[in-house]
Amino acid sequence: MATTSFTAPKLSSPTLQTLYRNLPVSVPLPKTLSSFSRHRSPSISRFHHHHLHHRRLFSVRAESENGAEPPRHYDFDLFTIGAGSGGVRASRFAANFGAAVAVCELPFSTISSETTGGVGGTCVLRGCVPKKLMVYASKYSHEFDESNGFGWKYDTEPKHDWSTLMANKNAELQRLTGIYKNILNNAGVTLIEGRGKIVDPHTVDVDGKLYAARHILISVGGRPFIPEITGSEYAIDSDAALDLPSKPEKVAIVGGGYIALEFAGIFNGLKSEVHIFIRQKKVLRGFDEETLGLESVGVKMNKNGAIEVDEYSRTTVPSIWAVGDVTDRINLTPVALMEGGALAKTLFRNEPTKPDYRAVPSAVFSQPPIGQVGLTEEQAIKEYGDIDVYTANFRPLKATLSGLPDRVFMKLVVCAETNKVLGLHMCGEDSAEIVQGFAVAVKAGLTKGDFDATVGVHPTSAEEFVTMRTPTRKIRQKPDSQRKTGLEAKAAAGI
Amino acid sequence: MARKMLVDGELSQTNAEEAHYDFDLFVIGAGSGGVRAARFSANYGAKVGICELPFHPISSEVIGGVGGTCVIRGCVPKKILVYGAAYGGEIEDARNYGWEVNENLDFNWKKLLHKKTDEIIRLNGIYKRLLSNAGVKSFEGEGKIVGPNEVEVTQLDGTKLSYSAKHILIATGSRAHRLPIPGQELAITSDEALSLEDLPKRAVVLGGGYIAVEFASIWRGLGATVDLFFRKELPLRGFDDEMRAVVARNLEGRGINLHPRTNLTELIKTDNGIKVVTDHGEELIADVVLFATGRVPNSKRLNLEAVGVELDKTGAVKVDEYSRTNIPSIWAVGDVTNRMNLTPVALMEGTCFAKTVFGGESSKPDYSNIPCAVFSIPPLSVVGLSEEQAIEKANGDVLVFTSTFNPMKNTISGRQEKTVMKLVVDVETDKVLGASMCGPDAPEIMQGIAVALKCGATKAQFDSTVGIHPSAAEEFVTMRSVSRRVPAGGKPKTNL
Repeated sequence: MATTSFTAPKLSSPTLQTLYRNLPVSVPLPKTLSSFSRHRSPSISRFHHHHLHHRRLFSVRAESENGAEPPRHYDFDLFTIGAGSGGVRASRFAANFGAAVAVCELPFSTISSETTGGVGGTCVLRGCVPKKLMVYASKYSHEFDESNGFGWKYDTEPKHDWSTLMANKNAELQRLTGIYKNILNNAGVTLIEGRGKIVDPHTVDVDGKLYAARHILISVGGRPFIPEITGSEYAIDSDAALDLPSKPEKVAIVGGGYIALEFAGIFNGLKSEVHIFIRQKKVLRGFDEETLGLESVGVKMNKNGAIEVDEYSRTTVPSIWAVGDVTDRINLTPVALMEGGALAKTLFRNEPTKPDYRAVPSAVFSQPPIGQVGLTEEQAIKEYGDIDVYTANFRPLKATLSGLPDRVFMKLVVCAETNKVLGLHMCGEDSAEIVQGFAVAVKAGLTKGDFDATVGVHPTSAEEFVTMRTPTRKIRQKPDSQRKTGLEAKAAAGI
Repeated sequence: MARKMLVDGELSQTNAEEAHYDFDLFVIGAGSGGVRAARFSANYGAKVGICELPFHPISSEVIGGVGGTCVIRGCVPKKILVYGAAYGGEIEDARNYGWEVNENLDFNWKKLLHKKTDEIIRLNGIYKRLLSNAGVKSFEGEGKIVGPNEVEVTQLDGTKLSYSAKHILIATGSRAHRLPIPGQELAITSDEALSLEDLPKRAVVLGGGYIAVEFASIWRGLGATVDLFFRKELPLRGFDDEMRAVVARNLEGRGINLHPRTNLTELIKTDNGIKVVTDHGEELIADVVLFATGRVPNSKRLNLEAVGVELDKTGAVKVDEYSRTNIPSIWAVGDVTNRMNLTPVALMEGTCFAKTVFGGESSKPDYSNIPCAVFSIPPLSVVGLSEEQAIEKANGDVLVFTSTFNPMKNTISGRQEKTVMKLVVDVETDKVLGASMCGPDAPEIMQGIAVALKCGATKAQFDSTVGIHPSAAEEFVTMRSVSRRVPAGGKPKTNL
């Protein structure tokens, strides 16, 4: 996949800049945009003609698959299909950089399908947000137990009313989807409700209406996968699990990934009986490729249905890009945001930007939760051979009083040669919050020495990460011939 | 019976090796700094002795306990009470998540206190074992310095033991200060507050520091009416002004009555309780009055004057960067030196001392970018420079990034309490000079941030770190808009 070197259309023409600046920010660009776009595209084309060279015209032609073609009138600089984390981020930022942007999204529903979705996407409507709210709700039962050890007593054991939780959760989702709509509005992005389909490298069809765009962004996300077994129609997926009409008394969860674990914790906390069945993990399947029109336009997908993209999120069709879960890289909201932000910069800031996937931290909101950043011990051994592993395994202060068997486990994986912290892992209360700050340190390539030189915040659990003095184990798997001396290692590491 | 050996003022290695001492190191005070120094010195091969006053939760000039303030009457019991108190608010919040909890919750203060005491006794035992496992010889009694290389321990039965030591380490910590106003004997200090028989229904707290704020939060969380009096406009003098205002707002939000710019002039015993008189002429009745007006170093009974160890005007033992006093064989670490009175700092000072004196590696404690926390509800945590300090110290302009938001949990619980997070950045270098946060889990969050800050991380490095979602902490790596840019030497120094 050649990365064509090109520069995004710049709004360097004074007339254009004034025009754009005078647009009141809160007024959304009109849907048809005919009058405005006619002001824009010709200027851009004129810009190309007057200021640029053959190469520019040539690359414009090359962008459209159909061979030689005069520069088109585009309704939008960017048309985004899917208003989730990646799509909204890319669209907003692109608009802020001066691009004319539209985004289409399916109508709202808590349960997604080929015809339902909602602005905000999975994260806001049927992922991160409702999940975390359910985790909060379910954690209280543990907190009630804990509080006994601290002197609190309940006449009658607290009972949970499922419908209150669902109603309040859904109200919050409505509020958030409204906020996302406002965010798009305020950025001057045109929001179109409907199902987008790609007709050609520069045209999107939304429920029968055609829109021409210089660039198309696919950010339709992913959907849960239910394996085909007899009776699978009786099973539910995470969408439904986040919006059940009543509390299930008994739940069987099939899966070993973070979603399975989180739901196990949620239902367990809300006093259901939970059984979890673990087998090998499957990749989340992408959107149905046939209905998106991808094959016909030439956008390549891998065997799991994920859209193939290069380091800049460009697909096999030069004017079509993709970010977020649909590309199945690292399926996390902040990563989709990173990908969307990088794309906006690449396309409209003249700053080709590659998302950086190193040291991306993440968390599993099981109970207790897990947080991690960097390499696992196994990965580190493979990549570095010689590593030192530091661990802390302790009963947090709260548990010594509550009497509950809660524990905390923390681990640092350190390169023996350079002393760099390659990976940091924690399982225990507040892991997600704790790991974030350390992720800055790990991403910055800091060493165990740097960690140790940092004074602890006391009393906390987090301080254990800066007071691990002796390695729990030292692994030496590098062949002797490859092992540098201390000085050589330091020189190599630039220390 | 120890031999008295006089050593020259100049402690040279060769001279010292010739003399015989009972101990290479004798430590007076087995708190955070003392125990750390003792253990690590022993690990380096030193023969170490340590003395400590007998154990009791409430300290005095002759009562203390192995583990020191942190373990027995500071950090640990404080945090336990904060945990206990926080449940009140949590249980309230649970309702909108669907939990049906009785209106009348029963809270058993005595149970909490009992469990707290069990825990500090358990830790006291652990610290004793840590010392013995390291081969440190422990003595129970009051320590005094008799000469540059001699200590005297007065045991409980009155007998005195004398020991010679090549090095003496003073680690006697500090104690709560009582304001000398009429009726002051009616007031309590934090020692007693951590061991009260009964939960007060009406509490008056005098003080603006972290101890005052924490106790105000604890009692309020357990249902008491709390009135907090402090001399300045805002509590927590020395912290970032914007964050101080956030803390004050939160305290009020939780129902604590704040009385800024107010001092207490008199306490009078009545049948109803303690009558509290303020310097504005107001009066209140309280069940408990807490003086949280500062702590003073425990340097009075060590006989330091006779030995010639210099103190500063607050009574703190004066030391150089290596924690050495003006007497070459006498050193001091921890609260008694009144540098940064935090347990991890005392640990750092003790570690550096042991390394310097017995580890063969001169080590100076590093006081830059030390994170700390105030366990109000919700807590405050900071590392690096406050905005005011940054403006003063930076060569160029300073950028301030803030994020103020309602944490996710509150969107359902309905609690109106915003979290505020802040980064202060040096425009010239892009280095993050300071970070602060007031909101749930702030202290846990700040630890990792402190590592980055300590190593000179830039705003760009923060921004290039992907967030963990959903969390509050991720706001630290997604602060995109500048709240304000302050030119070098900008804002006038405040006196809030």
